[in-house]
Amino acid sequence: MGINKIALKAGGPAGAGVFTIGAMIARTLQKMGLQVFYTADYPSLIKGGHNACYLRAEQEEVHSQLQIIDVLVAVDAQSIEKHYKELTENGAVIYDSDVRGIDKVDTSERKDIVMIPVPMTKTARELGDKIYRNVVAVGAVAALIQLDRKKLEMTLEKHFSGKKKDSNIIEANKSAVKKGHDYVKENFKDLDFKVKMEDKYKEESILLTGNDACSIGAIKAGCKFVSEYPMTPSSSILHFMASNEEKYKIVVKHAESEIAVINMLCGSAMTGARSMTATSGGGFALMSEGFGMAGLSETPFVVIQSQRTGPSTGIPTYTEQSDLRFMIHASQGEFPRLLCAPGDVDECFYETFKMFNLTDRVQTPGIILIDKHISASAKTTKPFDTSKLKIERGKLMTMEQMEKAKEKVLRYKITEDGISPRPVPGQPNGRYVSTSYEHWEDSFTTEDSQMRIAQVDKRDRKMLNIKEEEIAPVMIGPDNADLTIVSWGSNKGMIQQAMKFLKNEGINVNFMHVLWILPFPVKKVTEVLSKAKKVLIVEQNKYGQLRGLIRELTGILIENTLFKYDGRPIDPEEICHKVKEVM
Amino acid sequence: MTSIKDLDNANVIQWCPGCGDFPILTAIKQAISELGLNPKDVVVVSGIGCSGKTPHYINTYGVESIHGRPVAAATGVHLANPNLTVIAVGGDGDGYGIGLNHFVQAVRRNVNITYVVMNNHIYALTKGQTSPTSLKGTKTKSTPHGAIEHPVNPMALALAADGTFVARGFSGNLKHLAGLIKKGITHNGFALVDVLQPCVSWNHEQTYEFLTENTYELEKSKYKPDNRDKAFEKAREWGLKKIPIGLFYEEKQPSYADQLPWAKPPVALDPIDDIDIKPLLEKYY
Ligand SMILES: Cc1ncc(C[n+]2csc(CCOP(=O)(O)OP(=O)(O)O)c2C)c(N)n1
Ligand code: SF4
Ligand SMILES: [Mg+2]
Repeated sequence: MGINKIALKAGGPAGAGVFTIGAMIARTLQKMGLQVFYTADYPSLIKGGHNACYLRAEQEEVHSQLQIIDVLVAVDAQSIEKHYKELTENGAVIYDSDVRGIDKVDTSERKDIVMIPVPMTKTARELGDKIYRNVVAVGAVAALIQLDRKKLEMTLEKHFSGKKKDSNIIEANKSAVKKGHDYVKENFKDLDFKVKMEDKYKEESILLTGNDACSIGAIKAGCKFVSEYPMTPSSSILHFMASNEEKYKIVVKHAESEIAVINMLCGSAMTGARSMTATSGGGFALMSEGFGMAGLSETPFVVIQSQRTGPSTGIPTYTEQSDLRFMIHASQGEFPRLLCAPGDVDECFYETFKMFNLTDRVQTPGIILIDKHISASAKTTKPFDTSKLKIERGKLMTMEQMEKAKEKVLRYKITEDGISPRPVPGQPNGRYVSTSYEHWEDSFTTEDSQMRIAQVDKRDRKMLNIKEEEIAPVMIGPDNADLTIVSWGSNKGMIQQAMKFLKNEGINVNFMHVLWILPFPVKKVTEVLSKAKKVLIVEQNKYGQLRGLIRELTGILIENTLFKYDGRPIDPEEICHKVKEVM
Repeated sequence: MTSIKDLDNANVIQWCPGCGDFPILTAIKQAISELGLNPKDVVVVSGIGCSGKTPHYINTYGVESIHGRPVAAATGVHLANPNLTVIAVGGDGDGYGIGLNHFVQAVRRNVNITYVVMNNHIYALTKGQTSPTSLKGTKTKSTPHGAIEHPVNPMALALAADGTFVARGFSGNLKHLAGLIKKGITHNGFALVDVLQPCVSWNHEQTYEFLTENTYELEKSKYKPDNRDKAFEKAREWGLKKIPIGLFYEEKQPSYADQLPWAKPPVALDPIDDIDIKPLLEKYY
């Protein structure tokens, strides 16, 4: 690697604070003006096991993880065993030399790597608590790769402020950093490590996870009612919304089950409050009946579903993209729904905002389909530009409109555009029942065959109010390429990263990121695929769910496939390898 | 002033002639009318069952949700806009079977809704299967050898979950029932009004005759609804001449929404055109 380019992994048991190590270094590098990506890998337990935090920083945009690292920070022996082979030539291992047996790990296969033992536990104890061990490690890394000490202190201050007894805690952490730093400086005086970071600060960036970006998008969209039941990897959305409930005047309810959640949304959204939940596949399974109620009663709200490895409990803290078909079809009967699969933090923010507008426009529920990889990975980006974001509420009726109404407004009126006026309780001239039962225009239930057909067709027509341009796939790379990669969701980052490598090797590839899946941009996808010389589809599942959908809707079968389903995100290297194989 | 007529609509009621749901519908209308509530500010929320059709027969706003979920849906309506009067209605299967979790949670949450349960001790719309309130031994289509379980005791459940308004009415005693519903609506918190409702088609045990014969009004006895232990004793009473109806227990407690001061002006009516997210982004720089 070299100047201003680093990949680092911190590993240790749950509870040892390896994510803090990653976060501190990432935030410091961000403050130094670098672009950062970092992600977490953890099993479903609170203590023990093996946690790892991975980060990369460069001057150019960093889209994803790679299979290689320059620095490994290990607070237990297992972390060295598991990861030392990932080190690049002359990479370094910083480890806690106080951990019994840690020196015995056999790394003889890699004579090139630099071993940097640091007495982290002992040093932390001297500071009064073993808890500072991970921060000693941060200090050691700072010395090794020349992190800007001032910016690191700023990071510490920001990280620990607001917590109890913060001034003491901040001081203790600063000492921990200093001790870690000085130890490496004194004991490895002659070491000239290959990676050095310089302060390149030019303009501001924000560094945040997909879940946080979705939450902020929802708040910007005026989400006023959130009901959730905690489920990895979506729970941080619940926490985010709850921590802002008072400031932004939001009702946030941790309900008794996902069944309660979805039915609460059917109620809250009916009053006109923009409403949302976040869950994972298992939670959505419980929501599916209520989701259908929203379809029939034409109640708009937003469901964020962050996929994890299924079926059933699966590998609960790992990633997958195997719920696309489920989200498209869940619930009995047929009704239109919206589905968007953001591929990075920007899309998480902007598309969540847009989803609220579109669900209001077509009065049907919408799904933001993400996965663990995007939920829990953080990336730097430009501060969100809200200047063009406008709230659009479609035919939601205002008090003024309803007061002026000469006759009763029919909630389920058969209209040409398929969209009916939507009065809310409290307004005159609009009384109706938001019903799960097929109904007349005034909402009274019916079995009438003509009306049934008219209502089904009306609901279907609503989707025509969304233009293909609004839901177009994202095209990346040159118009004319020797190979077109097709994918969706979080693979976007890894594919963009792979494209950089391929370009350097003179391989000419472009990429169609299918961002909106319902409604499906049939025209554009057909056009791109018909023109493409060769096509490769990349998905994190076994059966190629988007591939099947594309075939169903365009008649085109994509022949080359890269499907991965081990719970780990696809690495850019794997994509490069596959591309070369196909070409 | 809201007259009963204002609450009527032209929809043809689809209950069997003589069904015990009719007086309950009338009682709800009477309560709304006597309280002078504007129908545009009332939302009646049901589930699915014979009971589930209620919102369509009363000219207010309404939600006909799915089986077992009216209390959850009503909670959503109420918390998004606490200015509305929210009345949840449902059957015994709906509320004490498939939806039991929501019922208990809503009681302990003390959400300010009134929950009228049309308790006919049977699954009526699905044509006569056992219900969670069917007495042990009851023979139905799904229990031809007699129900084996002990019945759910809704009064005792609500009391155990720290319910702040626990009442039981009877379809055959309209005036008394309307009074209970009225009280329930004015009660600040979750008000359970379980109603003994004869189903003339499927239940030949808890009939009008049987219930008229065997219920008595607590209000006409020396009983005072201010002691939870005593209320428990009443909740356990059931038998010939020994079925209490009336207010079992009432207590003043802050409702759930009282404890969300930021949601007092209804979040549903909050303007959303220009929300500033800058403060949210600060920590990411
Ligand atoms: C999820 C689901 N399961 C089953 C049903 C079928 N179903 C409709 S009403 C009902 C029971 C009705 O009993 P109750 O709630 O006591 O209402 P009643 O008809 O007696 O008023 C059932 C099982 C359904 N609609 N939804
Ligand atoms: S089946 Fe029973 S509960 Fe249903 S309408 Fe008829 S009498 Fe009423
Ligand atoms: Mg019943």
